[in-house]
Amino acid sequence: MIDSPEKRIDKNAITAWRTTGILFGLLWYSIPVIPIIAHINKDAPIWIVILSVIVAITLHIVVGYVFPVVRWKRWKYEVTEKGVDMLHGIIIRKRTMVPVNRIQHVDTKQGPIYRKFGLSALSISTAATTHEIPALDDETASELRTLISELVRQAREDV
Amino acid sequence: MSEFKRQHPVAAITSLLGMLRQNIVPIAIFLVVGSRNTGEYFWYFFMFGILSTLVLGIFGWLLFTYRVVGDELQINKGILIRKKLYLTKDRIQVIDITEGILQRMFGLVKVEVKSAGSGTESATISAITREEAEELRSVLRGESNSSTQSIDIEHDFEVETIAKAPSQVWHLPGKDLLLAALTSGNFGVIASILGAVSGQLEEFINVENIEYITRNIPGLDNTSVYFALFLFIFIVSYILSFIGVILKYSDFKIEKNDKELTITSGLLERKHITVPFNRIQAVRFVEGVLRQPFGFGMLYAESAGYEKQNQEKSIVLLPFVKKEYLEEFFFEFLNEYTEPETDVTPPKKALFKYLRRPNYMVLILVSVLWIFWEHGWILYSLVVPFSLLGWIRFKDAELGYTDSVIKLQYRVLAKTTAILRRNRTQVAEMSINPFQKRKDLASVKLTAASGAGGRVFEIYDLEYDDALSVFKWPVEKEEVDEPAN
Repeated sequence: MIDSPEKRIDKNAITAWRTTGILFGLLWYSIPVIPIIAHINKDAPIWIVILSVIVAITLHIVVGYVFPVVRWKRWKYEVTEKGVDMLHGIIIRKRTMVPVNRIQHVDTKQGPIYRKFGLSALSISTAATTHEIPALDDETASELRTLISELVRQAREDV
Repeated sequence: MSEFKRQHPVAAITSLLGMLRQNIVPIAIFLVVGSRNTGEYFWYFFMFGILSTLVLGIFGWLLFTYRVVGDELQINKGILIRKKLYLTKDRIQVIDITEGILQRMFGLVKVEVKSAGSGTESATISAITREEAEELRSVLRGESNSSTQSIDIEHDFEVETIAKAPSQVWHLPGKDLLLAALTSGNFGVIASILGAVSGQLEEFINVENIEYITRNIPGLDNTSVYFALFLFIFIVSYILSFIGVILKYSDFKIEKNDKELTITSGLLERKHITVPFNRIQAVRFVEGVLRQPFGFGMLYAESAGYEKQNQEKSIVLLPFVKKEYLEEFFFEFLNEYTEPETDVTPPKKALFKYLRRPNYMVLILVSVLWIFWEHGWILYSLVVPFSLLGWIRFKDAELGYTDSVIKLQYRVLAKTTAILRRNRTQVAEMSINPFQKRKDLASVKLTAASGAGGRVFEIYDLEYDDALSVFKWPVEKEEVDEPAN
């Protein structure tokens, strides 16, 4: 019997996601570009420029700094002999169950930022789809990878 | 079959023909419009295109060799990038044998061997003799290693099927074929025509042309010209879709042998599809809007064969059949599938959500249109038919399961009834948005493997507990109270 999954992903995820969010969040500042050009060339009112700058800053902070915490809080998973159970989603809650005997392969991967924080993402593929548990600490990720492969092997032998 | 060999030389022109056929609409428009505008340069360009495809085809043929070693099909191909494609028997999902018009003239067939999963490629041998194709099929199916097989099948497929004595055969009656063609309503054709034409549309539909028409034909205004144009495209695409169905499903036949289903159909182009039972991932019965009133629909099987270009990933098991026949069909042809009683439906409190759901798009679209058209608000009356659609969707949504199979019924526009087997269900998902949370509702989604990816079956707004038990169905046997069939 599986109740709602309880295991959390690594807390370092917040810092890692924040780093990514703040870095890539610089792209938000492309929003004010057009108003600024319009202000310089076409005498568009200054308040449009100010408003767009405020929007960009707000998005940068909210998406880059606040979202990672909420996202971390809302990510839970559980691996049992039956399957991999994942619960996530900030506004829409999504729960996904991948039955063990349908799993085709498991792998872990890390980008430069994840590597810096000692994190890995675990991805689980079936014949139809691929699912990912983001930001586990390296050790847990490789333990889980081994565990799932082992479970898959047992399930195969059972049949 | 141990040395590498080439296909029949006809293969060299099949790629040219295939290219021409796939792009027939753009080419036709190109010919009409292009020739008028650019004069003879256009013809040089066109001929260059044809010639280069032909030359590539010849090189492709020269460099394409294949052989069978044991139960493995090995193909070497590629002009610039050489590719070695090795497919073993146990990886193969579906084998298609097609007799195209060109192939027929030379007594040849095309063989497509499809394996599972993305990243792999289907192996297509465009032109080999029928005997070779049959031999290839029986080797790759592992049906027999004896040479008697190849003697048997020298003449026709008919002979071969009699020799193997299929246990069940189903034919599509001629009357049903006609009805199927009349009710197919394949409006995808409209979209593709419109898409192809839209680039050239301005050539024909411009203010001068419309003014010219309205001036010369009295009693016509702008709106009626547009309306007539729409009607014209509508009728043309209806006729095309009618002809399409007739060509595709003429003389449709499905046969059951001990390990597989064999489907044969087509008028000009005969297609033979072989699907082993254990490769069928799910079945789905679709009752089109025009067909449902007559109680008819189409039965598809999902298989994990990989097809790159073809949108149609599912295999048609029964092109036109009464819903009542399904139970018998499953019993005789696919006894792993049964139809469980459907006893779970969305609760009454979900009705309002069903009514609302199709309307979100209307409200957004109309609000945008209103900006461009001052009477745009009139379109808000669309809320009535869309709410009606929501209500029908609510009525149609239901599901039920046994130990081994689950049946999900829902409607988008056409009503779909999907049956999945427990150990073929790849993923189960459940989602709750804030509105659903307030009412203790949840949507549920099951995925079966199909083509290179998956096909998703989703039912919205079930009671949370019902959704949870569907969610857990693929992994938990204890939860099921009904006995296994």
